[in-house]
Amino acid sequence: MSATPLLSVRHAEKHFGGTPALVDAALDLLPGEVHALMGENGAGKSTLIKILAGVVNPDRAEIALSGQAVSIPNPQTAFDLGLRFIHQELAVVPQLSVAENLFLSHAYPRRAGFLVDWRRLNQSAKTVLDQLGIAHIDPRTRMARVGTGDQMLVKIASAFVTGDRQTPAVYIMDEPTAALTSEEVTRLFGVIRELKLQGCAVLYVSHRLEEIFQIADRVTVMRDGCVVGSALINETSSEKLIRQMTGRELSQTFPARETPLDSHIVLAVRNLATEYVCEVGFDLRAGEILGLAGLAGAGCTELLRALVGADPLRHGEIRLDGETRADLTPVSAWERGFAYVPEERRSQGLILSRSIRDNITLPHLQKISRGGILLDRRSEEQLSSVVGASVRLKAIGPRQTVRELSGGNQQKVMFARAMSRTPRLLLLDEPTRGVDVGAKFDIYTLIRQVSAQSVGVVLASSDLAELLGLCDRILILREGRQTAIVAASGLSQHELLTLCYGDGDRDD
Amino acid sequence: MTTDASIEQTAARIQWGRLLRTSGTLIGFLAIIVFFTINIPNTFLTVANWLNISQQVSMLAVIAFTMTIVMVMGDFDLSVGSMASLAGIIAALLFRDSQPVIVGVLVALGVGLLGGLFNGVLVSYVGIMPFVATLGTLTMFSGLAFLLSGGETIFGRDIPADFSGFARGGIPVGMVGERTLLFPNLTLIALIVLAVVWALLEQTTFGRRLYAIGGNAEAALLGGVRVRLLRLIAFMLTGFGAALGGLMYASRVASANPTQGAGLMLDAIAAVFLGMTMSEEGEPHVLGTLIGVLILGVLDNGLTQMRVDSYVREILIGAIIVAAVTSSSLAKRGR
Repeated sequence: MSATPLLSVRHAEKHFGGTPALVDAALDLLPGEVHALMGENGAGKSTLIKILAGVVNPDRAEIALSGQAVSIPNPQTAFDLGLRFIHQELAVVPQLSVAENLFLSHAYPRRAGFLVDWRRLNQSAKTVLDQLGIAHIDPRTRMARVGTGDQMLVKIASAFVTGDRQTPAVYIMDEPTAALTSEEVTRLFGVIRELKLQGCAVLYVSHRLEEIFQIADRVTVMRDGCVVGSALINETSSEKLIRQMTGRELSQTFPARETPLDSHIVLAVRNLATEYVCEVGFDLRAGEILGLAGLAGAGCTELLRALVGADPLRHGEIRLDGETRADLTPVSAWERGFAYVPEERRSQGLILSRSIRDNITLPHLQKISRGGILLDRRSEEQLSSVVGASVRLKAIGPRQTVRELSGGNQQKVMFARAMSRTPRLLLLDEPTRGVDVGAKFDIYTLIRQVSAQSVGVVLASSDLAELLGLCDRILILREGRQTAIVAASGLSQHELLTLCYGDGDRDD
Repeated sequence: MTTDASIEQTAARIQWGRLLRTSGTLIGFLAIIVFFTINIPNTFLTVANWLNISQQVSMLAVIAFTMTIVMVMGDFDLSVGSMASLAGIIAALLFRDSQPVIVGVLVALGVGLLGGLFNGVLVSYVGIMPFVATLGTLTMFSGLAFLLSGGETIFGRDIPADFSGFARGGIPVGMVGERTLLFPNLTLIALIVLAVVWALLEQTTFGRRLYAIGGNAEAALLGGVRVRLLRLIAFMLTGFGAALGGLMYASRVASANPTQGAGLMLDAIAAVFLGMTMSEEGEPHVLGTLIGVLILGVLDNGLTQMRVDSYVREILIGAIIVAAVTSSSLAKRGR
């Protein structure tokens, strides 16, 4: 390496919540470079970034900016040193205008010493937005009235506001495209290329391989808190990167069905309607995996909620093993052998403040306690260890707090809960969202294993490849209405997407 | 679960860090005891004084222990103080009507359950925020106590000796000079309530589910917890505890007055908060609440013996609560 790195990190270490989160990590960002950082959830990427942001204090770390050793004890220091962070979930202040949000971390321009100079503020904001090619956003609009994708672009733009300071040198982007449309992604990439020309360095974290090959010059891969490799982008390949990230070969992404379908019908749904979905009806055979597909807001999540009794039925019928379940609630659903993994594991699934054990046994307490009343911690821990191992959960032990686990491992806790007593019916809502490649494969294998035990599976997913790879049949929802059920084999992603959009129906 | 040696090592280190973070309040408590032992050498650290403290705090303790139950779910019950007053008034009125002691006590406790049921319905079925709902019932219960008593204190011959004698009685445990040392009945009741609440919260599925609700109510619901019913029951238990604490108070002062429980609510919440600083995740636990109650009781006792002005005492106690919560949140921020 000839040029002095803009940012260099050496010997970064952090032990965090029982797991060594970062072990002797090193990283160099050269001027004019887009440097991709990849790794599974829990590989240490976030910890490294949080150290740079001054949010986490490392056990030790040598950080240098343009060759000058620095320490970053708090976020303000990181800001002053010219580091800019773009997270996928950066908070906006919806009550304030776009311009005010842009300049939140800077002094607003003043008039007469203490009055805000609104005209100048809006003009500066407009300049920034223009530079980034997002001039369609009016700086005077309230943030609340700006669409989600545009909000994201505003948040990104806020990192480009220079104020009175010199141009920031290093941009650190943590999955910036997670909520963007492809058009918005193209705009963002244009901005990133502009930054490169100005000699800035960009650290770009993403799970999306295609993006990395589009935008990055170099890629560094982390695994289990260590840097396992760093290469120029044209000297590596997707296969190589996946191998480095997971530490194993992924011969096939989707494990194939190995057992034939049972003829027994586990779940029969007839003319079901709730406040959000209607005209739903299907039979689910034992061992069958039924996919739910639809555009955002089409009602996949709502259908699962209806099946688990979380939303009241307007009319219709749900029969489990031939018996009608009229007054289904989440309590009775779990008792009858429904197991449910909701869409948002942190807000709807897990009790983050409690242990792995408490989370896994929560729906099964009645069965696993003495007389249904007295806790039996030994059996609970035994159960948690056994199912934890079966889902390949990585943790100190059943008493570790769930908050301390990585996203993929948290999702495995949800699966462990669902599988603690073999369910009759497994309801999965976006089971691999925000989960890294390795954990994804584990989860696919698990779903296949469960279905091999004659469990009926209903799987809602926005990942079309996932639906096509795992499901036997796919139920299409549009605006809350069931529009088709199709066999998955032989269907292409394009055909499936067409069905979701509703150009030309097709029946089973 | 997959584990390896390096994880085990850091796990051990983390246990120590955790201990330091969560034991600050306990260390502070010990420091307070040492301070009073040095400054009040003859009377503070004696069995008689500690039995006295235990009796002084017993009413607060009962209310704080049962307050812990709703606070585990992340809820509050602001009505406990006025419920305590109301329970005392109701029992005293029944005594004045020459009802047997047991009838007065049972009816008062029943009113506690009923008040708790009312709170529970408002919070859990109507869906009003606990703060607002119990602020409303605080005023209602208090108004009811005034209405029933005509705003007067019921005392003297209206209170049967069986009832007021209970608070003065106890189990003989030894002699100090001429005097028999009694283990106070009120302390015994507080200990029984402590044991019951501890078993309920820490050893039963009921308690586990309450903690789940407190951690994430939506997740608890989708995970098969009867959230509404359990919240209702929890508020009933807190109402019951408030009535019990009110009866203990009435017995101790041998009178009932429509405002006598008013101060208990804030102290009970303060005690639970002090206890919460002792848990890693900031959850209420009834043993933590016990320490919280003891801190308040010991401070009151020690400062009174040192003849510190009662207004200054209030400032000091408030400052200590703020200090405990501050230091614990600072320690947790550092990790």
